Amino acid sequence: MRFNEKELVSLSRQPSERAAELGMKGPKKGDVVKKRLVKLVVNFLFYFRTDEEEPIGALLLEQCRVERESSHVFSIAFLDEAEKRYMFECDSEEQCGEWIDSIIKASYEFMRKNLIFYRTEIHRLTGKDPLEQYGISDETRFQVSSGLQLMPKDTMSM
Amino acid sequence: MKLNERSVAHYATCESPPDKTGFLVKKGERNTAYHRRWFILKGNMLFYFEERESREPIGVIVLEGCTVELCESAEEFAFAIKFDCAKARVYKMAAENQAAMESWVKALSRASFDYMRLVVKELERQLEEIQEARRGDLVAAAPGGPLVKSKSARRNPLARSRSGASSSSSSSSSSSSCGVLSTAVFSSQRSVQEETHLPSGPSRENGVAWSKPSVALTNGFGDGASSCVPWDSVPGSGNGADVTRPPPVPPRRRGASLESPVSPGTICFSKLHEWYGQEVEQLRGAWLQSQ
Repeated sequence: MRFNEKELVSLSRQPSERAAELGMKGPKKGDVVKKRLVKLVVNFLFYFRTDEEEPIGALLLEQCRVERESSHVFSIAFLDEAEKRYMFECDSEEQCGEWIDSIIKASYEFMRKNLIFYRTEIHRLTGKDPLEQYGISDETRFQVSSGLQLMPKDTMSM
Repeated sequence: MKLNERSVAHYATCESPPDKTGFLVKKGERNTAYHRRWFILKGNMLFYFEERESREPIGVIVLEGCTVELCESAEEFAFAIKFDCAKARVYKMAAENQAAMESWVKALSRASFDYMRLVVKELERQLEEIQEARRGDLVAAAPGGPLVKSKSARRNPLARSRSGASSSSSSSSSSSSCGVLSTAVFSSQRSVQEETHLPSGPSRENGVAWSKPSVALTNGFGDGASSCVPWDSVPGSGNGADVTRPPPVPPRRRGASLESPVSPGTICFSKLHEWYGQEVEQLRGAWLQSQ
């Protein structure tokens, strides 16, 4: 599958949500732990060899599951290949927890669910659709559920 | 550079609803003729398929750091996706009619992660304002105030003297929506560390992690005491576990400073939205002139 690699590499150089050197192990059987600079930018997790400018690779963090494997280790698995896990070793339990939290919140779909939650809640409390003033209430990406209009009875059922 | 391509392709065709689909012609990468492809826009990813029934995409365009513009082309209803980086590609596309072109341009302009984040932050801010106003109303209604801790009343003195006004609580946080957005940034940064009510358990999928807080909000609302922390509190003063707060969103990127329609530094939602609106107006005007 083709993708705009140059632009993705450029994205990897943008300010990140979180970046650290972690021990990373790939999902395949023979893979071993290697020290990598791991960088979270929007919904991508980039990983670099330390001191290299261009990332070795990127993981799109949609449709994935993040699990705590042990006090210092978390894993990322993608729902289409759930047995294959990328493992990440952190320096501390705290750091591990922070990474897990950040990655969960890094997906576009997670943000979309937040938006729907806020929109529904504001509508429930005020009777008004908060997106109307910006003229974007009909935008597909903000829909509460497949294009249904916000009605009081809809929010009750959520 | 490696990419988890199989999983990315799976995102395209999995059951989550797409943001937009349709046929467009796209100028080829090697063969520069225009090819008709089936497009699926999901989040910040624009997938294209050889045919509508194809199970796997031919390719994907990651829509971060790009602008969408009208372009000069032999094709009618043409537009281009342009990226900011050095030697970046320009993706030339054309729609089937004027309405489709406008609709695609609008959808693609709003596809970035940052745009979604901005909208979420804006709604988060609005919800906090509404909740603040309601807490203030509760205080005003019961001056003896068992519902509100004195600690938070001190931080938000306006709440005490108000009598039912619903909008003045926002004035203590800032005088403009831009200011409130920036204080919201501090609070959401703190809340990432202090958030306690995400579902516990060994694993979380980033599609379901949010579900519990909506219950917490409903429960917590009538019980103002445990959750009465104003949004505008000074950084470092500590929020504690705020059970009425909906799931926090990722903190804004640090280090970004330029204001532009695509820059992460543009934190004023109404300004950003105005830019998007202007862009669409310009496109429309330019097209009409070219007729």
